[in-house]
Amino acid sequence: MSSSDVHALVGAYALDALDDLERAAFERHVADCAACRAELDELRETAARLADSTWSVPPPRLRTEVMAAVGRTRQSAPSDQGVPGVAAGSSRGRRYAVAVAAAVVLAAGTGATVYAIQDQRVRDQSAIASAAQLREVRTQAILSASDLVVRSAPMTGGGRVTVASSREQAASVVSVRADRAPAADRAFQLWTIRGTGAPASVGLLGAGEQSAIELVGGVPGNDVFAVSLEPAAGAVSPSRIVAQVPLT
Amino acid sequence: MEQGAARRPDHLSAVPAPPADAGDLLRGVARGDEAAFGRLYDLIAPRVYGLIRRVLRDPAQAEEVAQEVLVEIWRTAARFDASRGSATAWMFTIAHRRAVDRVRAEQASAERTMKVGAASVDTPYDEVADEVSGRLERQQVRRCMDDLTELQRQAVTLAYYQGHSYREVAELLGAPLPTVKTRMRDGLIRLRDCLGVEVTS
Repeated sequence: MSSSDVHALVGAYALDALDDLERAAFERHVADCAACRAELDELRETAARLADSTWSVPPPRLRTEVMAAVGRTRQSAPSDQGVPGVAAGSSRGRRYAVAVAAAVVLAAGTGATVYAIQDQRVRDQSAIASAAQLREVRTQAILSASDLVVRSAPMTGGGRVTVASSREQAASVVSVRADRAPAADRAFQLWTIRGTGAPASVGLLGAGEQSAIELVGGVPGNDVFAVSLEPAAGAVSPSRIVAQVPLT
Repeated sequence: MEQGAARRPDHLSAVPAPPADAGDLLRGVARGDEAAFGRLYDLIAPRVYGLIRRVLRDPAQAEEVAQEVLVEIWRTAARFDASRGSATAWMFTIAHRRAVDRVRAEQASAERTMKVGAASVDTPYDEVADEVSGRLERQQVRRCMDDLTELQRQAVTLAYYQGHSYREVAELLGAPLPTVKTRMRDGLIRLRDCLGVEVTS
């Protein structure tokens, strides 16, 4: 995806009309471009004005509940990330942490084998910088493919798996976002399933890792993409499938 | 002062307290001032809840998401950066994203369209809305929306008020993807110019 292609998404971004993967690509783009950031800020300010017409008086208990929650909720420190978007943190907010973290990693031109960074942790940054660059190029090629198909499915226990596939590129960008992290000795494993054949393992997240954006080859052509919960070392065949994304 | 406050005074205080500025209150909240948060709540909760309800359509879900959003505003207030826009826009951005997130997780695109079908895209404002102040501001937004081309207006409205992705919008409108992307951008640019929105950093 060229930078002008990405920039053309500015309106859709300001309206929250992108999926998570495009959002990450766009955030990476604006992190590098002050002029784009200025346009984004103005369009976002404009989009927020659309809320002017949405007045609705909430039930009084909402105030009571919010004030009680505030009394027991610790505040976060200011963030110094130069990335647009909303702050990460709550279980629902966690998914943005991945996108934002991915954007930071990409913007820095370094990376980890997966873009997933839980608690803002970047693994083995410099050692695999070139691999990360390659991944970035591949990811962008897939996301900008003209035959891109995006499918998603909920995860058992909360969360969502999104698979953006391109036949042309013979690969997919997969986003796994669980609402809760697995136990420290467990990990999410990724599978493709064709027909009635045995599932083939195509990736394993880190132990206890809650969210990830992965680049997976050879997904198109299969019938189902699945995620299972396994011991941290992974399994030969899936023992407990927590999400299935039909691809056909 | 919140940016744009001079041009666009805050008028939404349905509360007895003197008119408050969302930017000042948010700065107080960032310092851990719970009383400031209470006043901020009174100032913005109807719009936060209203926006979320407009997107989600389901009052119970809207209440749940509104609570998450309002607590998140408390929690992350220190991250608000006035050089990037107004305090209200920052808060509505959080609210909108959470609402869109929830609606996509829980309601299929077709279901959303069906639900809205009856109410039409131009859902009438809440009855309450017309009785409270803020009327002028809403009229301004509405008038500016009327200045958009049909496709711009539809693209912006379907995305913002119903939480459709631009791919879904393209499908709903039977328009090519690049056209929809462009209409979202130039539609917002036209709205920006009509509303006189500026962000000076």
